[in-house]
Amino acid sequence: MKYALFLGCKIPSRLPAYEASTRAVLGHLGVTLVDLEFDCCGYPARNVSRGAFAMAAARNLALAEQAGLDVLTPCTCCFGTLRHAIRFLDEDAELRSRVTQALAAEGLAWSGKTEVEHLLPVLAREVGVDALAAAIRTPRTGLRVAAQYGCHALRPSNVARFDNPMAPTIFETLIRAAGATPVDWPRRLDCCGDPLHDANAPLSEDMTRAKIADALESGAEVICTACPHCHLRFDAVQAGTSDPSIRTLLYTQLLGLAMGLPEKSLGL
Amino acid sequence: MSPTIFDTALYASLALCALGLIWRASAWFRVRVGPDAREVTLTQRVTAVLRGAASALFSRRVFHILRAFFLDVLLQRRLYANEKLRWFGHLLVVAGFTLLLLMHALAALVSAKLFPGYQPTLAPYLFLRNFFGVMVLAGVAVLLYGRWRGRTPLPQVRRPIGAAFMALLGIVLVAGFLLEASKIASPRAFYRMTDQFVGSTNAEKLSPLRALWASEFGVAFGDLKPPIDPGLVEEGRKLHRDACAFCHAQPASAFVSYPVARMLAPVSSLLDQVRADVWLLYLHVFACFLGLASLPFTRFFHVVAAPISLLVDAAGPSSGSTSAGRASRRALALDACVRCGICDARCSVAPVARYLDNPGLLPAHKLIATIELSAGRLWRPGQDDGQGRDEALRAAEGAFLCTDCGRCTSRCPVGLDLQDLWEAARGDLAAAGLPGTAQWVRARPALAWAESLERSAGQDTLSDADAFYAPLSADRSTFSRCVQCQTCTNVCPVVAHSTDRDHGVDLTPQKVMNLLRLGMRDLTLGSRMVWDCATCYQCQENCPEGIRVADIMCELRALAVHRLGSVRDLRELA
Repeated sequence: MKYALFLGCKIPSRLPAYEASTRAVLGHLGVTLVDLEFDCCGYPARNVSRGAFAMAAARNLALAEQAGLDVLTPCTCCFGTLRHAIRFLDEDAELRSRVTQALAAEGLAWSGKTEVEHLLPVLAREVGVDALAAAIRTPRTGLRVAAQYGCHALRPSNVARFDNPMAPTIFETLIRAAGATPVDWPRRLDCCGDPLHDANAPLSEDMTRAKIADALESGAEVICTACPHCHLRFDAVQAGTSDPSIRTLLYTQLLGLAMGLPEKSLGL
Repeated sequence: MSPTIFDTALYASLALCALGLIWRASAWFRVRVGPDAREVTLTQRVTAVLRGAASALFSRRVFHILRAFFLDVLLQRRLYANEKLRWFGHLLVVAGFTLLLLMHALAALVSAKLFPGYQPTLAPYLFLRNFFGVMVLAGVAVLLYGRWRGRTPLPQVRRPIGAAFMALLGIVLVAGFLLEASKIASPRAFYRMTDQFVGSTNAEKLSPLRALWASEFGVAFGDLKPPIDPGLVEEGRKLHRDACAFCHAQPASAFVSYPVARMLAPVSSLLDQVRADVWLLYLHVFACFLGLASLPFTRFFHVVAAPISLLVDAAGPSSGSTSAGRASRRALALDACVRCGICDARCSVAPVARYLDNPGLLPAHKLIATIELSAGRLWRPGQDDGQGRDEALRAAEGAFLCTDCGRCTSRCPVGLDLQDLWEAARGDLAAAGLPGTAQWVRARPALAWAESLERSAGQDTLSDADAFYAPLSADRSTFSRCVQCQTCTNVCPVVAHSTDRDHGVDLTPQKVMNLLRLGMRDLTLGSRMVWDCATCYQCQENCPEGIRVADIMCELRALAVHRLGSVRDLRELA
């Protein structure tokens, strides 16, 4: 298994532990990650120009295509963006011709061959739960974990094709594979509040706090994330408050711990 | 050149340079970037810098600083990591220039002290001076080639003063070579020396020495035609040994100036007549003085600011500083940036910048906008003069589209904490009335925006078709199926959390869809629902009619940026 690793902007600068733990875990499971000169996925440009959004995304996809690789991203927002761009380009001939033209000016081309995958489905389906189980050395038995799916992994389901958008199970399956116990929490499919933070911080923080309170009420010890935006938002809201707080753990860290990988290699 | 002129010019240039340096360095305590920088006083900033410097120098961090001095300042490791060719060119210029400065320009202070027998006309100094000069010129050539090869479709940051400085450096070096060549070839210089050291200027009496200097030292006597008698040359050698050899080696080792002198031979007496050596000396020396005096006011100031920035960076990250310390680091950053453009080339949003044709997204351009803003030169809303408006708005757009990926900071060859600078600059832009789109849009209610749009109908000045490219909200079939069932509103987390009037939404998603159905799209553009949409896609996923509610929300925002942006200065009229 070989993928072009798409880290996006947030992970290298704000959450290097996610990069470290992703590389450690996937390396151990025999997944080869290739680094290409990717740029921003296009997410922030969506609020300014549909063309710039699609262009930024398509440029990354073209780089992967040039290298003959599919893209794997641990960032849910990058995943959603790249998948969305593919949809827009597929359904909109005018957009596609603009983007093709802009790409050609740089000597690039994108024909649609590149697939975009999120880390979790790759672990659950490509690597497989059986292979994960075989790699577990120190199962996190008894750890009660709330799975934070992240909106752009699930919805819109016809774009994301990630899991059942109303009743997903993939994250819980992966938590169980690490030996931990997933908790059922009513707000597990809700938005973490992050995309709203720049525009309306108080409302965004209300949303984040509601999720944290719900996870605690549901008996979780840890919120497990698979997106840097969700992860950093939970941490930011909990920093410096006296409210009851909950630990956040990246799924790659949870899995790495269960695989017996050294904490340092997981950024812990 | 008379010593009085030389000394007056030297001390005047030195004084200008010193005053300029003090003025520029004082900016590191005066210039304010970032809202927190406005909260601290001058005294706090001076104290913070002194305390920071003391605590770094008297701790183990001093080893980091020393290491940075050798690797980052002298060897320019960070430039090497980014661009090998440019590093090579830059190192050639720096090394050649520094060595020329020490050995040649400061000869009385350095070479004469270190090497007791030093004379500029002896070996190996003849050779070395040429060699160092060629290093600088070769370095400049490499840099120019690199710049030509690395040109990008996006406009690069302007570096006019940098180019002027390159030209000045070129003049110093070329004048230096020509000066040396003209002196080698000059009979007048020959007779001046023989008058002093042999006690004669009589051509007849000096004919053996003349023969030697014509054949081996490159002097072009107009009245001495080859062939030259070898016996006479040998005779001259004895005289040479007694009178000249203490100060004069054969100039052939000056491998640039000597061949030039040979080429100048046919016109050497003409050059002597017009005193070319004097003019070239003036050109050479005064170009140096001009460079010295203007050092603080040109990009050449980076030879001071960039090393300081690298050493400050080695002392510790700016996140560890107080806000007073950070304020000074930001002011230093504005001076230390060398406009190398490496950050621009590596910027994560460069493809977006290219597509939008807005270089305001790129780091080096943002830094220049930050300088303009901190100096009060950037246009701001409320200023009636329309000049600079577009540039300011584009700078603001760029500042808020930055993803803070940190690549510019990690690549910066002078060690600037650009993330801190961008955050501070965004704060300043917002305070100056140039906030991010979501903020300026929400400063007015949706209805007020719609009225402004109505009033300006038909006056659209934007011609960019892409700006108005909104296929979903323009096509009735995407939302006409809406049955107003309110499912989208019921599943919307933003609506659910909008319990507070101040932070809540105005419309609901279902109402936004209804306005579209009624053909009142303009009324949605400034709506808080559109701008507060978290893009969680619950509405779209749950819509029983399959309407792409969230996709439409995103599209309305992009449309609003342009539509509302074009009526933004109608704010005061509203």
